[in-house]
Amino acid sequence: MTPDSDTAPALQADRVWFAYRNRDWVLRNVSLSILAGQHTVIMGPSGTGKTTLLRVLAGILKANEGRVAVFGEPTSGFGQRRLSSVIGYIPQQLGLVRSLSALDNVLMGSLGRLGVGKALFSLFPRAETDRAEAALDMMGIAHKRSEQVFRLSGGERQRVAIARTLLQHPRIVIADEFASDLDLALASEILMRIRRAADKENITFVMSMHRLGLARQFGDDVLALKDGEIVPGYIGNQLRESARAEASL
Amino acid sequence: MKTSLVLPATTGFFLLAVLAHLGFFDLERLKRGVRNLGILGSEMLPPDVGILPTVGAALWETVEMSFAGTLLGFLASLPLSVLGTRRLFSSWVSSFARFIAAGIRTVPVLLWAIIFVILVGLGPLAGTLGIAAYTVGYLAKIYADLFEGTDPEIIEAVQSTGASKLQLVRFVIVPEAANAILAQVLFMLEYNIRASSVLGFVGAGGLGFVIQIYLQSLDYQRLATILLLVLVIVLVMDGISAWLRRRYLLAAHTS
Repeated sequence: MTPDSDTAPALQADRVWFAYRNRDWVLRNVSLSILAGQHTVIMGPSGTGKTTLLRVLAGILKANEGRVAVFGEPTSGFGQRRLSSVIGYIPQQLGLVRSLSALDNVLMGSLGRLGVGKALFSLFPRAETDRAEAALDMMGIAHKRSEQVFRLSGGERQRVAIARTLLQHPRIVIADEFASDLDLALASEILMRIRRAADKENITFVMSMHRLGLARQFGDDVLALKDGEIVPGYIGNQLRESARAEASL
Repeated sequence: MKTSLVLPATTGFFLLAVLAHLGFFDLERLKRGVRNLGILGSEMLPPDVGILPTVGAALWETVEMSFAGTLLGFLASLPLSVLGTRRLFSSWVSSFARFIAAGIRTVPVLLWAIIFVILVGLGPLAGTLGIAAYTVGYLAKIYADLFEGTDPEIIEAVQSTGASKLQLVRFVIVPEAANAILAQVLFMLEYNIRASSVLGFVGAGGLGFVIQIYLQSLDYQRLATILLLVLVIVLVMDGISAWLRRRYLLAAHTS
């Protein structure tokens, strides 16, 4: 980390442009700055580039122009292992291995710390197994540790995915449409657990979401993305309207 | 003529021309064939079960050859198919691995058996190696295609934990394809049991040698016994693989 890593924003995008192959721009001149420990929600209509933005921020896609930096350092020079020690990424479909157990999936969060050929026979260091069990416990599904993922419910899978990312010990977690297909009460319970875990380890959270109520509950800051551009004030109006609607009920 | 009829009409015409060329309209010959089928059938019955003790050893050898050949070929096909997965390796590496698999697959199993008879001499060792070789070529191709179909989101998610390629193969690619991997090995084992029963024709061990002797001496009653034996083994194999599928594959279908 550079000397200014304490003062620099946790995650920063500076005039980022992105297009798949030669198609039209998906992201146009996106700049954002997220402070350490903050929880940021990105909202916007579907097809507007939320997933692309998160994947560029996570270093999975490289911006065509502009730069992404974590704690002041551009991620373009990071190798996969270095990147994984800073950023954890949870895709929309969670990316769990269905035929393996919940515990095995969580243990995968430790792979970046182990040697490239370690754990091939499923022999994880005792300390990692303990941490994985603790992470499952924190997400409230320790009792399902040996269950194969395809036997778990949607909400349980979300918890496993979060536990895997927690085991990775990243300083930033980026999650795409997290908890969006769960019912409100369940989604809100899971988000509360995440909040608790994130605050405990001072993790910066960035999440895309389409439900305003949840966004308000979870996000310290809400950014709106529309047609590949950050729109200032766009969500503010929507938030005010939904607050008014709820107040009149 | 409507354009939609062009393709079926051309295909039909071509089929008729080919059949005529192959002798399918030589009714005399076909009639003779049916007559001979009756004679062959009557000469095969009843099967001579007296040879069972003698052919028992050859039968067991066939089972051994196909079992060992399939497993050895399976083990060798795994690294080759991983190298042939374009998602994991550069197109140079994967194209080269796929080229090798295609090369191996071009040679029929009987020809592989002949090559190994030349290399290691007559007997079941040559047959086993021949089966293993053909199995590598077939499974490496099937598995590489299968591995490439792995859900990219899962690969990305686990890659972003910092997992190495080797760890990705172990924790994502193989577990995600586990059902199909098992199903294909079982299919290959069944295929190899049938295939290995003719490898003896070229001196590569197993039942084929006995089949050849009875064929040449027109001893059809004994030949019938051997064909029945092959049928029994294939049925037993079917049963075992059906059981394995039920035991290990069904669970995943509920997801």
